Amino acid sequence: MELDNLKTIWKEQETLAPVTDPEHLAWLLQMKSRGPIARMRRNLRVEALLMVITYIPTIIAYLVLFAGRLSLISLFLFVVLCFYAVYFYRKDRLLIKMQCVTCEVRSNLAGQVKALRKYIRFYIWSGTLVILIAMVVACCTIRYAMQLKSMPIHWWFEPPFLLAILTPFAFGLLHLNKWYASKLYGRHIEKLDAMLREMDED
Amino acid sequence: MSNQDRQEVFISLVNANRSILYKICRMYGATEPDRQDLFQEIVIQLWRSYPGFRGDARFSTWLYRIALNTAISDLRKQRRVGPSFDPDQLSIPMQDMQYVNDKEEQLQQLYAAIDRLTEVEKALTMLYLEDKSYQEMEEILGISQNNLRVKMNRIKEKLRKMTKEAAYGIR
Repeated sequence: MELDNLKTIWKEQETLAPVTDPEHLAWLLQMKSRGPIARMRRNLRVEALLMVITYIPTIIAYLVLFAGRLSLISLFLFVVLCFYAVYFYRKDRLLIKMQCVTCEVRSNLAGQVKALRKYIRFYIWSGTLVILIAMVVACCTIRYAMQLKSMPIHWWFEPPFLLAILTPFAFGLLHLNKWYASKLYGRHIEKLDAMLREMDED
Repeated sequence: MSNQDRQEVFISLVNANRSILYKICRMYGATEPDRQDLFQEIVIQLWRSYPGFRGDARFSTWLYRIALNTAISDLRKQRRVGPSFDPDQLSIPMQDMQYVNDKEEQLQQLYAAIDRLTEVEKALTMLYLEDKSYQEMEEILGISQNNLRVKMNRIKEKLRKMTKEAAYGIR
């Protein structure tokens, strides 16, 4: 088969393309995208909703119950929730930036690689920080509750010891997050990178 | 223009350009379900982007960009099997059957060769076979014309070799 024939054969398949039923197309237009980015955004919204559903009643409960003596816990939880709000917003912005289907293929790929790298960095650091902040908040809350009840605070609950425990834990968590991010997105980013390199090379 | 009118215009435009979508889905989808998923995703992306289509670019250029971007950057895992052929999609009179079978066989060989190309090479091959100029290819892919020429020469050579192998049954 010569190359000249390829175009002829290629063009002849135009007749094979089935006419899509307009009703079926109209139905398709109502469907949600099943693309990876759309799915990631939907999952993010579900995560955010779950956070709100679990945190808001807890915050209100600590404000109202115990005659308001544990209202500081509400404040701590509110700080964590605010952190999560920023986290979800930033992640959503990055996901939106990740796809520009109307752009040239090369610039869409370059944009995806750049946004995905930022997304992964953000995922790793924020994922580590969120857990550390939650742990610090929990320690502060327990200490506060112990002080309220005039309970003795043991040496293992003093800040230097906690810091000594938290530091290696933070490093471990950071590496765990790096490994997980690479497991989730590593192959995809490599594939995108390879395509971009292929497009750029002469 | 009401939403209903806009939708009707869009549907007629998609149907008028259905062969482009058909070919892209056949090229990038390994199995029939993959192709159907890809077709659905491309149509959804086209519809979402349609309000932004100002008409300053050709509709087909705009469509190629969206369809190729969707096909190339799709994360979904595809079933890795050779290109398949759905005979139900044809409704051809009996006397033309032999001719169509020969043509279809050649088309199968062409797709088998294309299937061995990279995602980027597939996009270039598609535009080459669609007789797009280097100017149009550049507008769709964002690769400089000089670079496109070099790549096209390489791909043509690869295709020539692979279709020859396919014709002689070498895989």
